[in-house]
Amino acid sequence: MSQHIVLHELILAIIAVLVLVLLLIIAVLGYSFYSYRILHNRHSWRQIIEYKIIETIVGTDKNTEHDQEFGKYLKEPSFRALFLDVLVASDRKFSGAAKKAINGLFYQFKLEDEAWRKLRQRKAYLVAGGIQELAAMNVEAAIPEIKAKLNDDRTAVYQEAQYAMVSFQGYEGLEFLEHFDKPLSDWQQLRLLNSIHHIPELSDVQFYSWLKSTNDYVVIFTLRLIRKFRLMPMYAAVHDLLDHPAIPVRVQAIRTMQAIENSTTIRQFITCFDQQPIEVQLEILKSMKVARSRESGDFLKKQLWNHAEVSIKISAAEVLVVLGEVDYLHEISRTADTYDQLIQIIKHALQEKKC
Amino acid sequence: MLILIAEDDELILRTVEHKLVKEGHEVVLTRNGQEAIEKIGELEFDLVVTDIMMPFASGIEILAAIKRIGKKVPVIVLSSMGQEEVVVDAFDLGASDFMVKPFSPNELILRIKRLTNK
Repeated sequence: MSQHIVLHELILAIIAVLVLVLLLIIAVLGYSFYSYRILHNRHSWRQIIEYKIIETIVGTDKNTEHDQEFGKYLKEPSFRALFLDVLVASDRKFSGAAKKAINGLFYQFKLEDEAWRKLRQRKAYLVAGGIQELAAMNVEAAIPEIKAKLNDDRTAVYQEAQYAMVSFQGYEGLEFLEHFDKPLSDWQQLRLLNSIHHIPELSDVQFYSWLKSTNDYVVIFTLRLIRKFRLMPMYAAVHDLLDHPAIPVRVQAIRTMQAIENSTTIRQFITCFDQQPIEVQLEILKSMKVARSRESGDFLKKQLWNHAEVSIKISAAEVLVVLGEVDYLHEISRTADTYDQLIQIIKHALQEKKC
Repeated sequence: MLILIAEDDELILRTVEHKLVKEGHEVVLTRNGQEAIEKIGELEFDLVVTDIMMPFASGIEILAAIKRIGKKVPVIVLSSMGQEEVVVDAFDLGASDFMVKPFSPNELILRIKRLTNK
């Protein structure tokens, strides 16, 4: 009897498991179909949207069939979100009248509301997206709200707000650097640098202030700005940074001095060389390679013979090759009292030249 | 005029296509460099508009292929910001003109007219 009950229960359990598996399969299939539909919709919607953009840019004759299809989907929130995404991406591809036409679509279909809604969401990626869209479409009314996001703790938000402010106001949009205490990634620095096309006169005061910032990222970004715009009057302030506690700042200062060099630069590099760490010394040698000044010849020979670090010896030999001291290098490599390591370094430098 | 457009960005490709067709040109579209090189070998184009960065073969490789097979066709190169060095290579290989993205399709048409004197 008890055996019969156990068997009965076992069969029930197997049926229950099979039903569960079946339900799971149905759920997975249902979800896959749903995902496929979304993907398919997005693909076909993208084509409809792109056609609309092309039609607007080129000014082709109206295609009523396309227009009807476009109008039909325009009420769907996910279609509008995709429309806004595609519009912002397209805005980065064109300039002139085409850019204006894209901007016109943004206002014509009231996509501004979508972007504002995103800006006021909680999730960082949505807020960043909203900022990006409002800036790309040049919605100046959004400036105060975007400006407030400069102090947001979330990286995606404050970085997008910085980029937006610079897109709106150019150099003036960099005002946030004055009190900025967070990291500024290399990628973000490049984005900001690419968006600044003009430095107003009398901006020296701000530059001096940013170079004294306690945030190393701000100092480095300022040095990059000085390099980009070849701001010669800032030379002395850049030179002062060779005593900065952060090595990356010193490295950038060397690069900047080389970019805005004057008749004293090589001498200053030589004077400060021994007090600098290896990373900075290597940067000095790189700058000498670019400068190709004969003034550095004797100094380089001294480093080649006497410096304790192999990397410095190699760099010095390479710069000597660039300076045309090939005969000197050949000569010392053949001299009996030249030690083996130095001969190898010289051969390496000469080989590099051939490559 | 028969014009080849080599561009992997669908929106740019189709926009330039529509613009050129509206101007009365015949257009051949390619979405990668290899396909463009094959088309250049097969057909006689009056002009080529090519992007620099493309799958399978770059705009530079297209220019090199044109030079190798000895075809005399003006080429307009579309480059992105930060590709200045590549643009110099493009001119060395015989590019006639270049435009930096983001670009104006209207300006592209003007440059095509200037290059082909039409």
